[in-house]
Amino acid sequence: MQAEFGDEVTDTNNSKSRVFAVGRAFAVLLAAMFMFSAPGNAQAADSDNSIIVSVQNQANNNGVSEKKPVVGVKISVTNLAGVAVGEGVTDSVGSVTIPVPAKDDYVVTLDVASLPSGVTLIEGTKTVVNIVKDAFTTNAKRVTFFAGTSGESGASLMDRIAQRLVDGVRLGLIIAICSVGLSLIFGTTGLTNFAHGEMVTFGGLIAFWFNVLLGIPLLIAAPIVIALGGVLGLAMNGVIFAKLRKRGIGLISQLVVSVGLSIMLRNMYLYQFGGRTRPLDDYSLQVAKHLGPVSITMRDLSTTIISFIVLMGVAAYLQRSRTGKAIRAVSDNPSLASSTGIDTQKIIRIVWFAGGALAAMGGVFRGLDEQVGFEMGSGLIFLMFAGITLGGLGSAYGALVGGFLVGLLVELASLVVPAELKNAPALLILIIVLVVRPQGILGRKQRVG
Amino acid sequence: MDAERTYSELAQRARTALASVNASPGVAKPDPILLAENVRRNFGGVTAVDVQHLEVQRGSITALIGPNGAGKTTLFNLLTGFDTPDTGEWMFDSKNLKKVVAHKTASLGMVRTFQLTKSLTKLSVIENMKLGATHQMGEKWWNGLLPFRYRKQEAIIERRADELLKRFKLDHMRDQYAGTLSGGQRKLLEMARALMTNPRLVMLDEPMAGVNPALKQSLNEHIRGLRDDGMTVLFVEHDMDMVHDISDWVVVMAEGRIIAEGTPEQISSNPAVIEAYLGTHQGKSLLEEENA
Amino acid sequence: MDIIKIIENTIAAFFGIDAAYFALAAIGLNIQFGYTGLLNFGQSAFMACGAYGLGMTSQYFGVGMWWGILIGLALVVILGLLVGIPTLRLRADYLAIVTIATAEIVRLVVRSVRFKQYFGGSDGINSFSTSFRSLSPFDPGAQYGIRPFQYSGYSLWTMIIGWSLVVIFSFLVYMLMKSPWGRVVKAIREDEDAVRSLGKNVYSYKMQSLIIGGVVGMFSGMIFALDRGSVQPDNYSRDVTFYVLTALVLGGVAKVRGSVIGPMMFWGLYVFSDNFLRELTKDKPFNLFGIGIIQKAQVGPVNYMLIGLGLMLLMTFRPQGVFGSKEEMALDGR
Repeated sequence: MQAEFGDEVTDTNNSKSRVFAVGRAFAVLLAAMFMFSAPGNAQAADSDNSIIVSVQNQANNNGVSEKKPVVGVKISVTNLAGVAVGEGVTDSVGSVTIPVPAKDDYVVTLDVASLPSGVTLIEGTKTVVNIVKDAFTTNAKRVTFFAGTSGESGASLMDRIAQRLVDGVRLGLIIAICSVGLSLIFGTTGLTNFAHGEMVTFGGLIAFWFNVLLGIPLLIAAPIVIALGGVLGLAMNGVIFAKLRKRGIGLISQLVVSVGLSIMLRNMYLYQFGGRTRPLDDYSLQVAKHLGPVSITMRDLSTTIISFIVLMGVAAYLQRSRTGKAIRAVSDNPSLASSTGIDTQKIIRIVWFAGGALAAMGGVFRGLDEQVGFEMGSGLIFLMFAGITLGGLGSAYGALVGGFLVGLLVELASLVVPAELKNAPALLILIIVLVVRPQGILGRKQRVG
Repeated sequence: MDAERTYSELAQRARTALASVNASPGVAKPDPILLAENVRRNFGGVTAVDVQHLEVQRGSITALIGPNGAGKTTLFNLLTGFDTPDTGEWMFDSKNLKKVVAHKTASLGMVRTFQLTKSLTKLSVIENMKLGATHQMGEKWWNGLLPFRYRKQEAIIERRADELLKRFKLDHMRDQYAGTLSGGQRKLLEMARALMTNPRLVMLDEPMAGVNPALKQSLNEHIRGLRDDGMTVLFVEHDMDMVHDISDWVVVMAEGRIIAEGTPEQISSNPAVIEAYLGTHQGKSLLEEENA
Repeated sequence: MDIIKIIENTIAAFFGIDAAYFALAAIGLNIQFGYTGLLNFGQSAFMACGAYGLGMTSQYFGVGMWWGILIGLALVVILGLLVGIPTLRLRADYLAIVTIATAEIVRLVVRSVRFKQYFGGSDGINSFSTSFRSLSPFDPGAQYGIRPFQYSGYSLWTMIIGWSLVVIFSFLVYMLMKSPWGRVVKAIREDEDAVRSLGKNVYSYKMQSLIIGGVVGMFSGMIFALDRGSVQPDNYSRDVTFYVLTALVLGGVAKVRGSVIGPMMFWGLYVFSDNFLRELTKDKPFNLFGIGIIQKAQVGPVNYMLIGLGLMLLMTFRPQGVFGSKEEMALDGR
């Protein structure tokens, strides 16, 4: 393994009081999390067990699928014996929640006659869906029916490539923003933080809280969200990982702790926010503008431009500023950097703050791009890992370049790979990079095995 | 200073052979066990090692010295396959090792130790020793499930391990976790464990670092003992006393290159060496010794 | 509150089939993570190899159940090589990253519509356990034993097979770790350079450990699939690996007994917490000292939150497990 990071040494005389200190810290964190979750409890009042059915009209516009809710569709649920369990009609977001008595086998039927005129189910979509008991991974099982025409036959290949490029740039920039912190935290402390995705989710959920529940415009809320993300990063370091380093706990153990943290936070989000994904209020309804073969909404165009500016800013900061240089020095060689008088612990705190803030920003953008949900960040973490590995684990600029490329490649790959598997090519990239150039594009070559 | 020491026959032979060798960098030896040619390693633009030619005489104790950052440990890593050079070839017992991976060098009879001791703290001392034995039946997993297939060999290995532990005066710690040993004892354990591989060349990276003075003398004796048993020893060291004491030949590195070679007496009066060390701690001690 | 029911369920959970299949997965993970130090975060994928190996015998190949083991083994070896070849020469984190990613991709592939004809999509595969059922000496309809240890004939059959496998693999791992092979992998966990310098092919040993652990994990997946009578892709999500890991750490890593007792305790605690919270929130939401309200529907997330917290605390304060000794703690050369 690598040399110990940081400059603390375990003091055996003091270990008992340290144990208490760390224990207290955990307790504080837990209490804080509960505290934070208290006010919004009402919104999580999903009924005990339910089936959530959503009907979406999926129109294909030059290769961009646009989903529109279908309102007023009759849905019924019966048990296997054919006895009616419940029924309902889809609401303004095309969704209906039908409570069911228990996690059991059910049959969900869509009444085709109730579809609005001109809307038909996509070819091959069944109007009857069987749900088996084990499919209830949470208390709510979601079923979606798609209406509209499918297939991308309308657009030419070049047009589709152009569209994917635009989407890929957007996804790539978001991944790059999210993973800068992941890579720098690795570089400065040696920790592979599996809870980084939860920092992204945090940004999305807090933005939702401000924007939807409190009605604060997103433009005002976003800076607060980003700052809070930074504070979360500081808290993770201060309450947990700085203490673990101080106790001299190994990097592998720290990694496992971050896994535990990820599970805990993700379920806190689920507890708080519920299992469904929801849109932010602001900028959620946008009409796509057509620029040549490409269609993009003003919202997506703006987030792309802002992301790009932010990343350039981060790069410039790392390149030019005193702190930025210090961060790169610590990232290159922590023990050497501390011997040259750099305050390593301070740099680590800065990196955690910045990493958390950027992750939260990525969460806001992702929330705009898709929707907000308790798993939005953990769904991205694997792309982030692929990105920073491609760019070079621990390299400051590697995360920017690697994250961007992974996002781009994932979107482009969806031209040939079915959408449900569009993350698979990222794994392929990961494996190829590790075989061919394990240090990544920008990483420094070092001795391996 | 050590005129009264009696040398074993083998050591004497090595000393005689080396006596006729010119004291110049990269000089050829009568019977080299290790031979390196044009070995170079760059780290991000900095040349860490650039060895034009190096030969290590069989049966000798050769010291590799030089100021900090001279590339001694890097050269060790390169020769034992723990690092890959940018260019160069090297031979061990006339076998080219260029494409040989680290774990194979050990089974060829070339074993190394590390600057920071790598005793496996959660294994007992005797387990540490037994790990060193090569070609163990029980190290195949399917044999591992069938104890009768490896039991006999294990007993032989254990006997040999016990003998070595006795020789290195670690037998009283036999069943303790290696983590409970002192720094010096760990050095001894690592050396003893390396011997379990039946090496012909033992490469020791700073065997004296962090060892208390009382133990140093016995470590010296152990290293001499290796030579007397027919092994060749190549070691990196900062402790000039020790280098003077036990080495037959000294190779001096600075900034990745070999700047001087010779017997300990020749080296301590070599102006290039003094210049390389000048201003450093080691340089001072070298000069002081000169004047003493 | 029905305290008797909670206690009964808790006691039953200690010895239930869930504890058995977790124990098998944990025994495998213990070989990899506990003894060799390999961060395999994709144990769920190895479990899926077993489950789908069985499932595919009926779905795709139309051959007998015993072929499922062979298919599973082949899948495990392929998966092990796929994740091992690129990562086992590198530092430990890479294996973690690649295994977690691979496990996720495996799950996406088997639940995809594209490959539905092979893996059954999100519905999974169902009709493969008939021959296993027919081997059972018990009457599938009848109830055996007394509460809380009361099982249907089929459950009893899978439980006997499951726990037998636990005993067999525990013994095999014990033998393996006592052997020179075990000595090498334990040494690798501590310092692979030292082992390499002594002439051992570290890469090869890591690969062996990864695949052997994966094979035990495969049997875990099989028992699980046989018990449920179906193979569902979502039962092999990445969190399953982490729960197994938590159970292992709870019992104590690098100990055979840890990998068996840990899962038993894990399920005991989990079922207790789950039943207790459900009883607590049955009629009205439970107010936790004014800092949080737990609704009935939130019991699940709260349980998993506690698992995450438990993993953090265990890893920090008792990495040697709840029954580990102080001595081991002191030796933890971390």
